[in-house]
Amino acid sequence: MLPQRMKKVITDNPKQLADLIDLVNLPSTLREFTGQSQTSRLGCFTRVWSYIKENKLQDPNNKNLVNCDAKLKQILLGKGQVDLAELPMLIKLHFPKQQK
Amino acid sequence: MGKFPPSMRGAKLPMNALINKTPSQPHPLTENFPYWADKKIPKKKPTKLPSEMTSQLPAITFNPPSLSEAKTLFNQVISTPGKTPLDLRFCNSVLQSFSSRATLQDSILFLNHMIKTHPSFSPDSSTYNVLLVQSCKANDFSISSVHQVLNYMSSQGFPPNKVSTDVAVRTLCSCGREEDAIELVKDLSGKNLVPDSYTYNFLVRQLVRNRELSTVNSFIKEMREGFGIQPDLVTYTIMIDNVCNRKNLREATRLLGVLSEEGYKPDCYVYNTIMKGHCMLSQSGEVLDVYEKMKEEGVEPDLVTYNTLIYGLSKSGRVKEAKKFLGIMTEMGHFPDAVTYTSLMNGMCREGDALGALALLGEMEAKGCNPNVCTYNTLLHGLCKARLLDKGIELYKVMQEGGMKLETGCYGTFVRALCRKGRVAEAYEVFDYAVESKSMTDVAAYSTLESTLKWLKKAREQGLAA
Repeated sequence: MLPQRMKKVITDNPKQLADLIDLVNLPSTLREFTGQSQTSRLGCFTRVWSYIKENKLQDPNNKNLVNCDAKLKQILLGKGQVDLAELPMLIKLHFPKQQK
Repeated sequence: MGKFPPSMRGAKLPMNALINKTPSQPHPLTENFPYWADKKIPKKKPTKLPSEMTSQLPAITFNPPSLSEAKTLFNQVISTPGKTPLDLRFCNSVLQSFSSRATLQDSILFLNHMIKTHPSFSPDSSTYNVLLVQSCKANDFSISSVHQVLNYMSSQGFPPNKVSTDVAVRTLCSCGREEDAIELVKDLSGKNLVPDSYTYNFLVRQLVRNRELSTVNSFIKEMREGFGIQPDLVTYTIMIDNVCNRKNLREATRLLGVLSEEGYKPDCYVYNTIMKGHCMLSQSGEVLDVYEKMKEEGVEPDLVTYNTLIYGLSKSGRVKEAKKFLGIMTEMGHFPDAVTYTSLMNGMCREGDALGALALLGEMEAKGCNPNVCTYNTLLHGLCKARLLDKGIELYKVMQEGGMKLETGCYGTFVRALCRKGRVAEAYEVFDYAVESKSMTDVAAYSTLESTLKWLKKAREQGLAA
């Protein structure tokens, strides 16, 4: 089933998928955070999310909130606290739509 | 590099010794993985397969297919006494390794050389089938090389028989050369070598899967008119199954008529197939008609019939009747299995009776029927749809412990339900689980999460979600 579904996703939305998995040259702030010069939006999200988990940055009283440390603040607009629901949007800001 | 075939690990083979002795040899028997490690071996009838016997033997990889080097190497191997018996299987294996890289002409020459230098080796049909398989795999846009091998076989006293036809047809089809397979079958039928029903039906099955319906029909027509080969009940079942899968039930009905005209009595499989076709179109009335017809004709319904029936009725919202059949099938001596219960649960969830479906899970477990992944996915989906999130989470925990995969639809519903309640962190955990358990691609899992969160933002702005 999966390959078929995957195919459908791709045929329906080739652009959207490309936005998600294409490697992009990173801006300097992200480059510092990930330690890579290129990554995809999906890779970047996984990176940030695992960073949050590894350093236990989720608020103990409300797991939906993330208390940013200095490193995370740099890439998330300098916010002290971020809602997990906003995370994908915040990361997306670093990946502007490419004009072709 | 470095991957040994299991049979080579630790085994002291004469070839290993040979490498050690002559390190300067230009092309030693490299320890590359055997060539079949990266190629799919097509499913074949085991009795007819020559390569299967040989595949347990160590592979010798001839990197550049040079005939003279292969000959030298073979001479060295047979002149070095070792533990491996230099029997038919060994020789077949050597030939197979060589021919998988070399041209057909060289392979035949190499075989001749093997026969000459190693008199105790007397090739049998399995040896020639090795060559035949290779000639079918070599894609040179014609079947002349296949004919070349068949002629060579005849000249060596092994005229092609039904087994070689079958091997050739299956190999050609596995390479996507259905047209060549048709041509070969016709050529051979012209030489009084008609395919047996297994080969014939295999080819028809491949054709209905991968080619247009018209191609299949013309193939059947030509075989019937040219060589007197009649399609049998299995052929018709394959064709009906195919048109049902394409939702072309008019054609299925026509085929059913043809089948009766030819004097065949539709059996349980034919009826099950047609019933499945109606199920796919959610025509529950017709599904019941098929069941009635079966009873009229005196065809005994089997477990699949009942499962299809219950699935079809549940799908079109006639759960009550479906439940009735659960009783009937037990009376008839068929024990409902996980598929039966899952279909029924699916129907109940569609009606919004997720709690009833959950109760049915208890009932089936009490009867000793183990639920499968599909059952749990159906239930989780139903519970989330019915806004019984807490029960859903409980069920999800069970699935997590069992390491069960999430289906895409179910995952999406679950993530949305969690987000709607503002439990975003848990949705993230579900996302992690989906990725970790490889339930779907990362991209699919992430896209769902992202779009759900996007939707959540909008819903929050409008005050619709927590």
